[in-house]
Amino acid sequence: MSEIEAIASLLARDLRSFLRSRSQLYSSVLFPLMLLAILGTGVNDGLDPKNIKDYVTFLTPGMIVMTALFSSTFSSASYYQDRDSGILKVFLASPHSQRVVLLGKTLSSVVIGVVQALLVLAVAAAIPAIHFQWQYGIAASVALAVFAIVLLNLFLSGLGQLLASRISSMQGFHLVMNLVLFPFLFFSGAFFPLHDLPEWLKLLGRVNPLSYGVDMMHLALYADGSGGYFGLPLDFAVLTLLAVGVFYVGTSRSVNPDR
Amino acid sequence: MTRGRLVCWLGPFSPCNLNVSAATDAPSPASAGTSASAVDVRDLCYSYGDRLALDALTLEVPAGAVFGLLGPNGSGKSTLLSLLIGRREPASGSVRVLGSPLSARLRSRLGVVFQEPSLDPNMTVRETMALQARLFSLPRAEARQRTDMLLERVGLAERANSMTPTLSGGMKRRLELARALVTNPDLILLDEPTLALDPDSRQRLWQHLLEANAEGCTLLLATNDVYEAERYCRNVALLDRGRLAAQGTPAELKRGLRRDAVRIEWKGDPAPEADAMRSWPGVGGVRVAGSTTHVTVDEASPFLTRLFQSSGDRVNGVRIEESTLEDVYFQLVGRGITPRPDGDAEPEEGA
Repeated sequence: MSEIEAIASLLARDLRSFLRSRSQLYSSVLFPLMLLAILGTGVNDGLDPKNIKDYVTFLTPGMIVMTALFSSTFSSASYYQDRDSGILKVFLASPHSQRVVLLGKTLSSVVIGVVQALLVLAVAAAIPAIHFQWQYGIAASVALAVFAIVLLNLFLSGLGQLLASRISSMQGFHLVMNLVLFPFLFFSGAFFPLHDLPEWLKLLGRVNPLSYGVDMMHLALYADGSGGYFGLPLDFAVLTLLAVGVFYVGTSRSVNPDR
Repeated sequence: MTRGRLVCWLGPFSPCNLNVSAATDAPSPASAGTSASAVDVRDLCYSYGDRLALDALTLEVPAGAVFGLLGPNGSGKSTLLSLLIGRREPASGSVRVLGSPLSARLRSRLGVVFQEPSLDPNMTVRETMALQARLFSLPRAEARQRTDMLLERVGLAERANSMTPTLSGGMKRRLELARALVTNPDLILLDEPTLALDPDSRQRLWQHLLEANAEGCTLLLATNDVYEAERYCRNVALLDRGRLAAQGTPAELKRGLRRDAVRIEWKGDPAPEADAMRSWPGVGGVRVAGSTTHVTVDEASPFLTRLFQSSGDRVNGVRIEESTLEDVYFQLVGRGITPRPDGDAEPEEGA
């Protein structure tokens, strides 16, 4: 019981910090919407892609995944702020195991990521130029989108925590996150469909964890009578496995608050 | 106890600079009250790679004590504290804290004040206290009551809603102490808690610490501040490279010393004069370290007269002061405690 209280208090602390940081809150919503407006309209009208009838709507699930990605990266980086401010030492000197402390930190990263991604989803749904198809019905499609967002954030926050406990500097952490995750985002089907890519890029798409999240989001929001690139059962299986596995490993690492 | 301190530097051709300061009476620490040990470590070893930080250290801290771990950087003080918190695993040896082996549960009875600042810059003073109370599963009503009482006591009640970065250095330290006390710990571990504080803040912090001790809380303090250890600690352990050099009350440790301590800086090799001094009347210990000779004497004046008569042309400088634990340390170990620019101390890992 005291462990749950400890996790809840660490979660509440990080949420309060997030809500106090208005710039982080606003930019996390504005940036994907800005990309939707500029990139979405630019590609849709300027390039007129023949295989996508509504590029702005196609792009929206990818922007929601990108929001989760950025949010997890920023939230995981709070590990370094906690370490450098010395507060991590205080947490680790409490009567709780390292796992409880890391669970509290990582869960707060998940919650912040989910809240930001859902905010983007809600704002996008209200924009007239974006035409979600809700192919499973609105309630089921929203539930599927929320489920995908939660799984993605569990995976990404676990990965962020895993890397933060191994990389000693925040600069190194951001470098690695950018080097690894930006290519993941580009080859995930967020910006262009995987169907029409050359085989070697399709292969990269298949081994890319984000592709399954994007595919699930496309099925929930964009697709109309389509079974998706991988299909819902495979999306579900891969994402669940990755989310549970990486979250578990990420919160099991030992941390050194001095380094 | 009222002590006067005379610090005097003599250059070869310069007049004496006097800096006289008188310390006030030290408040009485709480009586131990029980014969049980708050901390009991036996043959404790810990290494950072090849460097041995604790070398078969055996130490007992009585419950209710104000106990000082005194030594230069690199002597193992902070490492010992981090082992007591359970942040590191000893390579060998045994550790018992408050009568029990180390465990996460045991930490609910400990308070810690770290050497470096450890406040969340995104929280207010009251939130800082509330988070600590929740992490330690303190009932909300009790947490609120203890927070109000402690913030009042440390003079931060009016700043309860201030964000922590807006506090001064002394206020931050007092908040860290209040945070450690909010859970009503039986033992507080303090790693150089007054480092970088001005004298007024230092004195206020000690006032609060001694109040906590008077309420039954054992204080274990790691410091390299000799005067702080002498003034406030009832028991002191002198640590040298992870080993216990000596332990006792400040008075016990200084018992073998003479009244004054004289440090002589030589222009060349001090060995011949050092040998001769040992037979001079009123001279206690003579210790040579590099180009410095450290001598404890009954009275500095006749000793200095003789020194300058016999070897005045070879003396580069002289420092005289009332004997302190630093002199005890120097006599035992052959080097000082206080960090010096020439770097006679090694860096130490943080707690």
